[in-house]
Amino acid sequence: MEHEEVEKEVARKSALIYLPISLGVALLFLLVATVFGNYPLVAKIGGTIWVGLLSLIVSMPIVTARIKRLRSPSS
Amino acid sequence: MATQFRIVSLPVQGMTCASCVSHVETALKELNGTSDVVVNLATNKASLAYDPARLTLTDMVRAVSDVGYSVPATELTLEVRGMTCASCVAHVEGALKELEGVISAVVNLGLNTARVTYISGVVTTSAMKRAVRDVGYEAQERSEGADALDRERQAREDEIKRQGRNLLIAGGVGVIVMIGTFYDMLGPLQAFVPQWLSYKWVIGLLTTPIVLGPGRQFFTNSWRGLTHGVTDMNLLYATGIGAAYGIAVINTVFPSAGFGGEGATFFESAALLTAFIILGRWLEALTRGRTSEAIRKLMKLQPKIARVIRNDKEEEIPADEVEIDDLILVRPGESIPVDGIVKEGYSAVDESMLTGESLPVEKKTGDNVIGGTLNKTGAFKFNATRVGKDTALAQIIKLVEDAQASKAPIQKLADWVAGHFILGVHMLAVAVFVFWFFIGFQLFFDPNSSFILSPYKLGEIGVFGFSLLLSVTVLVISCPCAVGLATPSAIMAGTGKAAEHGVLLKAAEAIENASKLQTIVFDKTGTLTKGEPSVTDVVISKQSAVISSTDHRSLTADHLLRYAAIAEKNSEHPLGEAIVRGAQARGLTLVDTESFNSIPGQGVEAKVERLNVLLGNRKLMHERSVDICELAQEAERLEGDGKTVMFVAVEGQAAGLIAVADTLKEYAAEAVHHLHRLGIETAMITGDNRRTAEAIARQVGIDRVLAEVLPQDKALEVKKLQALGKKVAMVGDGVNDAPALAQADVGMAIGSGTDVAKETGDVILIKDDIRDVVVALEVAKATMRKVKQNLFWAFVYNTLGIPLGAGLFYPFISLIISPELAGLMMAISSVSVTLNTLLLKGFKPSMRREDKPQQGKGQPAPQLATAHGD
Repeated sequence: MEHEEVEKEVARKSALIYLPISLGVALLFLLVATVFGNYPLVAKIGGTIWVGLLSLIVSMPIVTARIKRLRSPSS
Repeated sequence: MATQFRIVSLPVQGMTCASCVSHVETALKELNGTSDVVVNLATNKASLAYDPARLTLTDMVRAVSDVGYSVPATELTLEVRGMTCASCVAHVEGALKELEGVISAVVNLGLNTARVTYISGVVTTSAMKRAVRDVGYEAQERSEGADALDRERQAREDEIKRQGRNLLIAGGVGVIVMIGTFYDMLGPLQAFVPQWLSYKWVIGLLTTPIVLGPGRQFFTNSWRGLTHGVTDMNLLYATGIGAAYGIAVINTVFPSAGFGGEGATFFESAALLTAFIILGRWLEALTRGRTSEAIRKLMKLQPKIARVIRNDKEEEIPADEVEIDDLILVRPGESIPVDGIVKEGYSAVDESMLTGESLPVEKKTGDNVIGGTLNKTGAFKFNATRVGKDTALAQIIKLVEDAQASKAPIQKLADWVAGHFILGVHMLAVAVFVFWFFIGFQLFFDPNSSFILSPYKLGEIGVFGFSLLLSVTVLVISCPCAVGLATPSAIMAGTGKAAEHGVLLKAAEAIENASKLQTIVFDKTGTLTKGEPSVTDVVISKQSAVISSTDHRSLTADHLLRYAAIAEKNSEHPLGEAIVRGAQARGLTLVDTESFNSIPGQGVEAKVERLNVLLGNRKLMHERSVDICELAQEAERLEGDGKTVMFVAVEGQAAGLIAVADTLKEYAAEAVHHLHRLGIETAMITGDNRRTAEAIARQVGIDRVLAEVLPQDKALEVKKLQALGKKVAMVGDGVNDAPALAQADVGMAIGSGTDVAKETGDVILIKDDIRDVVVALEVAKATMRKVKQNLFWAFVYNTLGIPLGAGLFYPFISLIISPELAGLMMAISSVSVTLNTLLLKGFKPSMRREDKPQQGKGQPAPQLATAHGD
């Protein structure tokens, strides 16, 4: 049980970090697409979602692994 | 108190690629109390050492499942006899639960059964039955349950069938989808295809079961991994398939949404991509099944039944229930169930499957028999000496299994690259998308451009659709799917091939090191020579004034030999034993010495019939101030013939010398010649004097002689060669030469017989055949060649494909790779690796068992000379 609680805590703390990161990257994309260029709304939204998704995929394991290492007693 | 680590090998399910391996390894390494964690994709096993005081199997199982994989549990029902009440139930359950590997045990008193859930490979059914017997009850398997071999094969067959089913669905429906998509290009064939098959809705409806059926495994596996913070190749596939399918659905349902419209529905991308990836998975499952054939062949040798004689009655019992000292009856044509010693009877046994001896070996009372070999002609009874995991066959199987589960250094690098590749690929996909979205599309997009090998135009696709397409293609084409299998499949095939020839490679690292060897050092006695020297010459010193103590006459050859033999009577040295044998052959009476002292590296001194006798080399004679000048010339002549000379001094005077010679092994010269052809330098290490050693070396063709080396200095000599920057192998006796074998980059224990467990060294040559050194080297080189070829095939498609998939050449050729073509390339990389590995099955060593020794190429073995003075 203790192990499961640790896993949940790691997942929660990691989410608090990687979710804002991916959201931030996605919004940055949207900002650039809006400010620099005349893209259709659908293209901007589609691109934002795709970039956000890939950023999430990139950041999730990096952040989770780091939080796990910081939490591990041997670190 | 020193920590007692236990070694365990856990089966792991769900791994499909090198990054899966990396995740499982990391998860197990992060546990407190583990070390030496090695995960092998080809064998689906995680081997590690753990401290039972800090960690349990349950912790390890949980760690593996936390990262999205599973340790499969097996269920077994035992029939338990002798239980009468609830406390019996508690005893049996307690005994079973105490076994490592048992997850749960539930005993039913009414049915006399115990249902056990356990981890196969950690605990065996025989261990469970023994545990029940130890608490006073009888247990046997309820039904003819599958043994480890059958279970393993069943698991592989299930996986092959599952992926085969997926392939049939995905491939079959995918072809229909493709026909519908390219309906307009069918020309006259349109007459055979209904037009409604080309409607986007229909194509969408056909694609959906492919993505949600056979393709579902990628989504569920990646979600499970992501929720545990791990990424693997399933994620690449899921992202690619999901994106292609998602956009296709949007463009079908909402064509005006701005994602490219009806012309940009990539249902066939999603369908065929799924089909090609599953094709790769199916081929990988086939490969894993084929390359563990060596283990399967060995396991098939294990007999299931033994005929035990207990209380004068014959009983047929499962072979794994035989106990040590049981008397076992074997009839003609039956397999011998366990290792033992013949008690009565006589027969000939075919041991070729284990030792390679082509002729049946006669067995009589007192002879050893090996479990798994075949009794040919007679019936006999024998007492079991080694059972279960201690038998020779079990040891060999374990050794080959461990070797196949181990990792070569090159594979560790490949796994590390593949493990970090996934994140890199996703970053690349973001970069490609962003580039084409903001820059590339405006600068380079050509409405008339199309996919490679497809007339499908990209005109209507739009900036988002085009950028997404390239991003998805990069995800798929970058996937190093075959990397995870490239090295382990070759290592499995190589270790299996070596085992077929009686060469046991203990670890993948041994294979890699053996392929890079530059120098091989052979121990002389027992390795290059047969190790059974015999007396060839006995020379009396003409100037000797020594008088025999028995008949008070001048010493004769017989007197000299007798004194020397008495001095060496209790010697275990091969030269001493040769002198004793020589004296016994002449009928000389050997009494006990009055005193005895061994001087290592020099000889012996003893008091024989009140005379002080010295027997040894020049060094001993010089130290004891014995003048041997008169014998020097004769000694040199004999040494020049390759004989070992021992001087005999009686009462401080040189009395004479005895020459002993060992015969070279058959094929010794040919083996050295083959090694030279492989570019290997050869060396010989011996305690013999230099003249004798060089004479032997000339006969065999050895390049470098390390003579007069004390036994304890052999390892040092190997180290000196290594200090010259060479990769050195040492070939010798696995027990006596252990330090030198351990020091060498590759230690080869030759002539170990079948007691492989006690042998030091990275390579064990079961037969006493020097040709196996050449076989070991050739197999190692062939295996590493295969590894490198496989890695090439695994990476080449990525290396060439990434620039293509990212659209690097698009501005020049107006062509891009479609996602499904990228998937096909990845499937082809798996095919290439699979087929390439299977080619290793046809490997034949250059020195084969049926070859006869060639006359004239090497020097013939020296003939034994008769002793002087007869």
